[in-house]
Amino acid sequence: MIKGLLKKDLFNLASYKTSLIIIIVFCGIAIIGTDAINLAPTVICAIVGMISLSTFSYDEISKSNKYILTLPTNRKEIVKEKYILAIGATIFGGLLGILLTILVVNVMNYIRPENMINLDYKILITTALGGIFCISLLQAIQIPSVFKWGAEKGRIQMFISLFIIIAVIGGIYFLVTKFNININIEMLSDFINKFGLIILIALMVVMYFVSYKIAYKIYRNKEE
Amino acid sequence: MENSIELQNVSKKYKDFELKTISFNVPQGCIVGLIGENGAGKTTTIKSILNITKSEGTIKIFGKDSVKNEKEIKEETGVVLDDSFLSEYLTAKQVNSIMKEFYKTWNEEKYISLLKQFNLPTDKLIKDFSSGMKMKLKIATAISHNPKLLILDEPTSGLDPVVRNEILDIFRKYIEEDETRSILLSTHITTDLEHISDYIVFIEKGKMIFNLPTDELLENYGIIKCSKEDFTRLNKKDYIAYKKGKYQYEVLTSNKNNIRNRYNITTIDKPSIEDIMLLYIKGEK
Repeated sequence: MIKGLLKKDLFNLASYKTSLIIIIVFCGIAIIGTDAINLAPTVICAIVGMISLSTFSYDEISKSNKYILTLPTNRKEIVKEKYILAIGATIFGGLLGILLTILVVNVMNYIRPENMINLDYKILITTALGGIFCISLLQAIQIPSVFKWGAEKGRIQMFISLFIIIAVIGGIYFLVTKFNININIEMLSDFINKFGLIILIALMVVMYFVSYKIAYKIYRNKEE
Repeated sequence: MENSIELQNVSKKYKDFELKTISFNVPQGCIVGLIGENGAGKTTTIKSILNITKSEGTIKIFGKDSVKNEKEIKEETGVVLDDSFLSEYLTAKQVNSIMKEFYKTWNEEKYISLLKQFNLPTDKLIKDFSSGMKMKLKIATAISHNPKLLILDEPTSGLDPVVRNEILDIFRKYIEEDETRSILLSTHITTDLEHISDYIVFIEKGKMIFNLPTDELLENYGIIKCSKEDFTRLNKKDYIAYKKGKYQYEVLTSNKNNIRNRYNITTIDKPSIEDIMLLYIKGEK
């Protein structure tokens, strides 16, 4: 049944294919024309990840959730499908960005051997993962908000939540600098180098899991 | 006779509306019309049956608990909702591709032949369909997995009489094909029900007013048209409601033969379901 729900959302999202091609072309040009060779994964992942959430708006316009609840599926599967789509879109966006960067850099290096672009694969993948993490955080906040308040209000709620998160991080940074709290940067950097990737992935898993639980609890009690 | 749907004391409370202890059955092989004005509680009843909204009371479909056996029941149920469908941004062809993932018994050939029969384009976005075309697509989608039960919420509202008639024909054929099939049809256009329904359930302000076989309703109910003098002779127990007109009284009775015999009043009209509903709602008690 989740396959049917996914098909419905993917058919709805098909209208974005022209926009996606334009974004890919834009990112390709940006890689060639600027030094921002690591830009593509983050930009494409951000756009594809956020586009996937527009399926909520499609559902709202057609009031389709009420109808979907009459089909042989249930609320759990409906919530699950939204997460599968969001996570899939984010990973797809990140991978597409990585592949685009590798392709463009190699083609350009072949065409212009005198003007070699040095591509650091480690930095590229780290940047892509950073981008995927940020989008995951946004999605983890936004999906329950949209289930609770609807697509339009949910977006506003997400910006408020995001503002609170930035304010808290900013506040911590302000306190650390104001009270001259010594942080061993070398040790921190070493720690991040060793465990950063695992922590990032673990954090994403936890974020999505908690977000899914909240979203399901909201949707289970929601009247359509 | 087995029942496809059994409702017992179904209640639902909202801030400004309450559905109060609704009980009725939809027997196999029958079309049951659920009538009432807008906001009477028809859609809430249907949403409760389909477990879209949580309500109190007992709901059994095909003899099974509607909540515990939700998926199994929905496999054998086709639903048409007036204001909701998969998405306006899909084509009929894409609907086919989606629906076969939902129903094990989805019949692609039947769906395509229904689209042809209804003259529906397969590659046009649903949002560009007329209201009649949209409704026909919803019906084609609802019956293409050969469901045992059809639940239809206002399937004819906003449609012109020609399309309405076509749609009613589809329902008639659907029920004639298999005697174990049933339809629950909610509508405020009561004329649609006079020729096709077997039972009428009337809901008003969240309360069930009656649940009667259509024939019995149309045969036994009557509208007495009488003078003030005749009206004052009537015992309150012998009529349901009345309306004072410019020149005469219109009095609704559930037993017109009794009125004829007891009061010797001969001007008793055969009412339509709409007349009955209107006098119940607007008449004085």
